[in-house]
Amino acid sequence: MSASAAAEGAAMSPTANGNGNGTGVIHDIGYRSYEGQRLGRGAIGRALTWHSLRSAFGLRRGVKAKIIPVITFVILCAPAVVNAAAVALSGNHVRQISYDTYVPSLRIVVMLVFLAAQAPELVSRDLRSHTLPLYFARPIRRIDYPVAKLTAFFLACLIMLEIPLLLLYLGTVAQVHGGSAVWTETRALIPGLLLGAAWALVLASLGLLVASFSGKRAFATGGVAVFFFLTFTLASLLTHIGLNSFGHAALGAPSALARLAGLISPFTVLDGLRQWLGGTTVGQIPNPGSLGPAYGLAFLVFLLIGIGGLILRYRKVGVA
Amino acid sequence: MTAQHAVRANGPGGGPRGPARGVVIEANALTKRYQGSVNALDQLTVVVEPGVTGLVGANGAGKSTLIKILLGLLEPTSGTAAVLGHDSATDGAQIRTLTGYMPEHDCLPPDVTATEFVTHMGRMSGLPPTAAKERAADSLRHVGLYEERYRQIGTYSTGMKQRVKLAQALVGDPRLLLLDEPTNGLDPAGRNQMLDLVARIGAEFGISIVVASHLLGEIEQICDHLVAIDSGRLLRADTISSVTQVSEVLLVEVEEGTELLAAELARRGLATVAQQRGLLIQLAGEQTYDAVRDAIADLGMPLNRMEQRRHRLEELFRDEAVPGALEPAATRTGAADVG
Repeated sequence: MSASAAAEGAAMSPTANGNGNGTGVIHDIGYRSYEGQRLGRGAIGRALTWHSLRSAFGLRRGVKAKIIPVITFVILCAPAVVNAAAVALSGNHVRQISYDTYVPSLRIVVMLVFLAAQAPELVSRDLRSHTLPLYFARPIRRIDYPVAKLTAFFLACLIMLEIPLLLLYLGTVAQVHGGSAVWTETRALIPGLLLGAAWALVLASLGLLVASFSGKRAFATGGVAVFFFLTFTLASLLTHIGLNSFGHAALGAPSALARLAGLISPFTVLDGLRQWLGGTTVGQIPNPGSLGPAYGLAFLVFLLIGIGGLILRYRKVGVA
Repeated sequence: MTAQHAVRANGPGGGPRGPARGVVIEANALTKRYQGSVNALDQLTVVVEPGVTGLVGANGAGKSTLIKILLGLLEPTSGTAAVLGHDSATDGAQIRTLTGYMPEHDCLPPDVTATEFVTHMGRMSGLPPTAAKERAADSLRHVGLYEERYRQIGTYSTGMKQRVKLAQALVGDPRLLLLDEPTNGLDPAGRNQMLDLVARIGAEFGISIVVASHLLGEIEQICDHLVAIDSGRLLRADTISSVTQVSEVLLVEVEEGTELLAAELARRGLATVAQQRGLLIQLAGEQTYDAVRDAIADLGMPLNRMEQRRHRLEELFRDEAVPGALEPAATRTGAADVG
């Protein structure tokens, strides 16, 4: 509660009204009409986005709402902090973690937890408490609601993915000397940031879409977790089979199965996209090679399903 | 009292703003057909004027459908509607800026405080941050929530929740309030408080109100005008007084000898209908009172009660509700459930 609200609350309380009898009901202050500025659709959408972004991190909510976002954020930042210490202590000042993959397995697990816990926070609550008719009875249009939620969750995922990258960058450049060394680091960082944005777009849109199918938090959380975990497990398993059963060591190139299995899961599609675009760090799947464009296409398809699906979902959602 | 006489209190900075002029709602041959079912609205043509208007009909008569079409939440199958001069098909955003909506069903998140929620809804109505805070505090005070507004909504009673729903409709300073069954789930005391609140908002705040209800007694209690719909069709649209003063009856109760009195009145040319403890007599002016007085005086009976009554709204929904026809049900009092 802000100070002004508190002051007003005190001023308006019955006992402070001078009635003195404690039962004073203040009905006679009269109605004040509002003649001030009214914001348009765009500004209302931005207000909803900001409100949703805060709720993605449990801000202005109880302690319980903050537990998972804070813990996941701290875990994701930890490798960057470790890197900063390692760079400072080691003699050659070499960065230990790649910008474009960060720490892949940790990133996947932690983002999965974040998505499963926080996507329902943004969309399932309004479904559960039937608040949507109140939004749709206001000046915004139907499409503004999913767009605001998506923007907010995209930004939330971006914070989760890219603050660690920036910490990694700062921890490294603090120890290197000379403009060219800093420029080298900066050039290495940029693809990492772009890939982070691609991650945030795909994960946020698919996460919200799955969560928006249930107003019950447990179901929404379970749905998001199962979707991301199951597809990732399946993709990893098939990749593993493809690598081991078709003797990639002998031929020097992974089999088609190993190179295609990654198309199943958003996480591996993002990894395939990274390798297709020139990423060289070893990732979750083998380099797709000539099948790289398939990963580019799969990225767009996932994006289309996530964003398009969410917009369609809110076109249909009942207020009748 | 009607809203036409309402004086709007002007706050600091607020210029004078009279009650809404002209027509508030205009529906023209409005039809809504849900897939594979009967018409929810069927060629409904109605005009709603400023003031407090009751939208009455049984459950499923099409009240909620009409409200949602007016807000642009639903598209009509055919026909047009205008709210405050704006076409609902093309100018929905403008209508929704000027209109506050209180849905029938629960629509409140349990885990935020009323202040936070109403402030957020004020922001969603297009108010800047500071104005949203101020108006949220004002609205909650107007509906009678004081210290409680800093508590989570989940801890509220049904009556308090209904007040929060009303406050969020009020927060954007609307010209028109659409209230869908505002007394839903309330006990009789809470019901009366809510009705008083609605009447007060209509009279003192200068806001036009449409109250949808299936309870005729409520409509009669607080509304100036009445729109009755049944199966999506307009049954009647008129002022409350003209609807209820179609014909008046006199209820006479005597200690004992009701039949004797009935016979005496019949001798004097007055038809009567026996009711639980009394007689109903069609009122035809002063001479009816005189005749009853004389009859009772001649018989030497102690008179317990003599009371003028109006026909009640519920007769609108009766086939036999022909003006002048005297039915025992004509004097049933209180809120009658038509559903």
